[in-house]
Amino acid sequence: MKPNTMVRSMFAALALAGSLGALVASAPDAAAQGAAVPLRMTVWTGNKAHLDLFNGIAADYQKANLNVQVTFETLPFETYTTTLTTQIAGGNPPDLAWIFENSAPDFVASGALLPLKTALEGTPGYNSADLTPSALRLWQRNGEIYAYPFSTSPFAVFVNNDLVKQAGQKTPAEHVGAGTWTWDNAIATASAVNAKTGKGGLVVRDFDYKLWDNLATIWNGWGAAPWSEDGKTCGFDQPAMVDAMTFVYKAIFTDKAMPGPGTSADFFAGDAAMTITQISRASLLPKEGFAWDLVPLPKGPKGEYAVVGQAGIGVFKNSPRAQEAAKFLAFMTNPENSAKLAQFFPPPRKSLLTLETLAKTNPLLKPEQIENVVIKGIATGEVKPSHTGYAQLSQLVRAGLDAVWTPQAEVKPALASICQRIRPLLAR
Amino acid sequence: MTESFSPQVKVALYGLLCVLAVPFVFPTWWMVTSSFKPVSDIFAFPPALLPRSFEVAPYRQVFTLQPFARQYFNSAYIAAVVTVGTMAIASLAGYAFARIRFPGQNWLFLVVLVGLLIPSEVTIVPLFQMFLKVGLVNTHWPLILVPILGAPSVIATFIMRQFFISLPAELEDAARVDGLGRFGIFWRIALPLARPALGAVAIFTFLHSWNLFLEPVVFLSSPDKFTLPQALTQFVDAYGGPMWNVQLAAATLAAVPVLVVFVVAQRQFIEGLAHTGLKG
Amino acid sequence: MTGQASAAPEGTRTTDLEGPLRRPFWTMERRDTLAGYLFVAPQLLGSLVFVLVPLALVLWYSLHEWNVLAGSFEFTRSKNYQQLLEDPVLPEVLRATAFFSVGLVMMNLSIALLLAMLLNQKLRGTVVFRTLFFSPVVVSLVAWTIVWGFLLQKDGGINGVLALLGVEGPNWLREGTTAMISVIVVQVFKNVGLNMVLFLAALQNVPNEIYEAARIDGANRWIQFRSITLPLISPTLLLTSILTIVGSLQVFAQIAVLTQGGPGTSTTVLVYYLYQQAFQFHFFGYGSTLAVVLFAIVATLTVLQWQMRKRWVFHEV
Repeated sequence: MKPNTMVRSMFAALALAGSLGALVASAPDAAAQGAAVPLRMTVWTGNKAHLDLFNGIAADYQKANLNVQVTFETLPFETYTTTLTTQIAGGNPPDLAWIFENSAPDFVASGALLPLKTALEGTPGYNSADLTPSALRLWQRNGEIYAYPFSTSPFAVFVNNDLVKQAGQKTPAEHVGAGTWTWDNAIATASAVNAKTGKGGLVVRDFDYKLWDNLATIWNGWGAAPWSEDGKTCGFDQPAMVDAMTFVYKAIFTDKAMPGPGTSADFFAGDAAMTITQISRASLLPKEGFAWDLVPLPKGPKGEYAVVGQAGIGVFKNSPRAQEAAKFLAFMTNPENSAKLAQFFPPPRKSLLTLETLAKTNPLLKPEQIENVVIKGIATGEVKPSHTGYAQLSQLVRAGLDAVWTPQAEVKPALASICQRIRPLLAR
Repeated sequence: MTESFSPQVKVALYGLLCVLAVPFVFPTWWMVTSSFKPVSDIFAFPPALLPRSFEVAPYRQVFTLQPFARQYFNSAYIAAVVTVGTMAIASLAGYAFARIRFPGQNWLFLVVLVGLLIPSEVTIVPLFQMFLKVGLVNTHWPLILVPILGAPSVIATFIMRQFFISLPAELEDAARVDGLGRFGIFWRIALPLARPALGAVAIFTFLHSWNLFLEPVVFLSSPDKFTLPQALTQFVDAYGGPMWNVQLAAATLAAVPVLVVFVVAQRQFIEGLAHTGLKG
Repeated sequence: MTGQASAAPEGTRTTDLEGPLRRPFWTMERRDTLAGYLFVAPQLLGSLVFVLVPLALVLWYSLHEWNVLAGSFEFTRSKNYQQLLEDPVLPEVLRATAFFSVGLVMMNLSIALLLAMLLNQKLRGTVVFRTLFFSPVVVSLVAWTIVWGFLLQKDGGINGVLALLGVEGPNWLREGTTAMISVIVVQVFKNVGLNMVLFLAALQNVPNEIYEAARIDGANRWIQFRSITLPLISPTLLLTSILTIVGSLQVFAQIAVLTQGGPGTSTTVLVYYLYQQAFQFHFFGYGSTLAVVLFAIVATLTVLQWQMRKRWVFHEV
């Protein structure tokens, strides 16, 4: 047995050495030729139009970089940040990820994101001077960019003019023209539609009594904010917020202008007169359906205002393909592709925020709509609320707001108790 | 309770049974019929018992929106592996605790029983960390190993032990005389007799694995690895309209096959469970 | 084995009874003991690795502050337990958990017993009903929950049926008490079939003669139930109540799908709170502390119930 085993082990050792050698020898060649580089980007949209756009850009990138293959993984919108952070905590982070503006502080401060300035500025033709500083503010720290705000999208009101006319009301466009497009009139119109047709009046899309930060599209008109600029003081018990929330409460439960908790109305299916959402939803408008319009947010007691939501793309530092990912990000957000993305996701590029560029990529929208809603909104809009430790903070606020969304609610005490709950977290 | 009933009492009893059966049956009925309705009809008032028109589109969408077939397969093969594995481990351990005398067996049985006291949520965080360290997060290994070897299989061991305790000792003595070793006795004599108990264990274990929700949500983050319960909650698209009919179609696809199997084999199902020895 | 095989004559079986003479070490007893250990080894090792070690780890983690995203893991001794005592949400969570478990167990056991007794009558076609009552047990849990989610909407099926009867149904999932009741009802109807089957088997084991004798003695149905049925099925009652209580403390999917712990914190039971802290906010340390609390509750309840068997259970198991 013994001599045979010796021979066998010698063969085994030779084979092992041989294969190891082959592996080592081939590695530099592989790098030179380009071993396959699979990049994964998590997104929260499953919309076909959006994904087609992204896949098209990825295909273009692959033409110049044959080994890079980019896949876009859709995670559900409502639990997007939780699922993403679970992937990270589980040692399975993507290479690139979309980031909501409300969790931007957490991600930027976490040290998990790759600084992007060098990659972006180092890309020929990128023109990083074109990027507007106000859009970048949330995504920067100490002069370094940690995530690229590929979408700075204003909130606006989509209107179903058929329903509005059916209820015998003036259309919002007429109000805008007359300078009477205020929240009071908006709610009156919505209430009339609901009373006359039974359909929903005004729907704040994605709110559904869960994602409360979407209400910023309303309360900003009162000058209210959930917390102070520095994030340390609670804003819920301030007079502005109390007034705003009382207004919303009345709109829901007294005027029946907004669908109550547990009921839903989908504007794009024709079940609501108006909806507040971002222009990225324009792809949902039915090809031949109701007569629709797009108008800015109504005036609040504090006058005209605009609200924007942002979405950033970050590269995870610990990914083995981080550099490649950064290069792809630079390609995806260069001037040419930014123009393509502008159809749904307005870029932070000054040169592209002109009427002609946007009109080209937004065939659905009329020039006045683009001018009044998109361009003005981005220029003057305030970003939705964000804070460190957002997951816990938002859950506490959400639970506290549940006390407001009942027919017998007392708005002021409920808001006061929210402040009580979140004060220790804000102070951190 | 052996008197025969007067017709009035009979009618009353049947009536009562029918009324009681409604909340058990109506949801399933509603799920299947609503999956064929157009979205706007689902919340129509008054609720319609039968769909006005049959739309098959949602069923197709179930498969295009997610790797649903893959996810179905995931749930099925994981449940099958866990069932077979648990049957093996539980019958071995249950038999040993019941019929073999070895020192410390009562203490060891108590140690195993501790598993019954521990809800899966208590240990999920350290289990997550353990699997993270060996790089097995986002694989199916946690969903297979933990049910077979951990807390969920303890009840299976308990059932098997109860059953084996009730076996007459003479059977084993006879086998001994024939020269069978302990494993032989187990394999040739005890196990074949344990069919009803094994059947019950198989049912419990399969259903438990099929329905696991927290564990897949914690361990799995890639859609093509998801299991069925997890997948069912993903049919929402914020950038699209409500997909209720698609959700219901997916739910129907998940529920109906098992239901059909159950109706066909319901006697074995129920009688197997009744004879688990849990009655004491 | 090398030397002895040749010593035994052909055709003779070396039975184990001759063991001490022929095989000095491996007696039957020893082989049996080995078999015993080997048979239980997988289950035991599994319990060690997947139950006991994690339990110890949970205790260990509860002594640390651990944020997974920031990557910090520092020993903070009893800080988490102090946080537990000062946590304003925790009393509500515990209250919700108690309400849920008690409500669930009472509703589940009483309906299961009622159904079992109904099916135990000499009626034709009870098998059909048995199948119907048991069917939700095999329906996928999440599917069942999603469907009930639809039915419980303000304009959903249940309120639709109520409206036909002229009653205006509440917004089931969005009002505190009704949300909790809804979650309980969803869970009860899913699983009561299982307990029903077990009770049915126990009921069928009660000999008819006892009832006959009682009837002759003039006992009415209620006395029969209290003095004969209940004591004789008490072992099953005890076991199912233990399993149902322990099960109720693990209910997660229904809450995650139907209410996400809301409205407010009215349906945030301990298990769901644990999930929020550990997997939504990524506070693994505090989550582990909550896990320790959960384990303590389950252990206490089970031991209590097991002790009570001396008083409540008629036979000894």
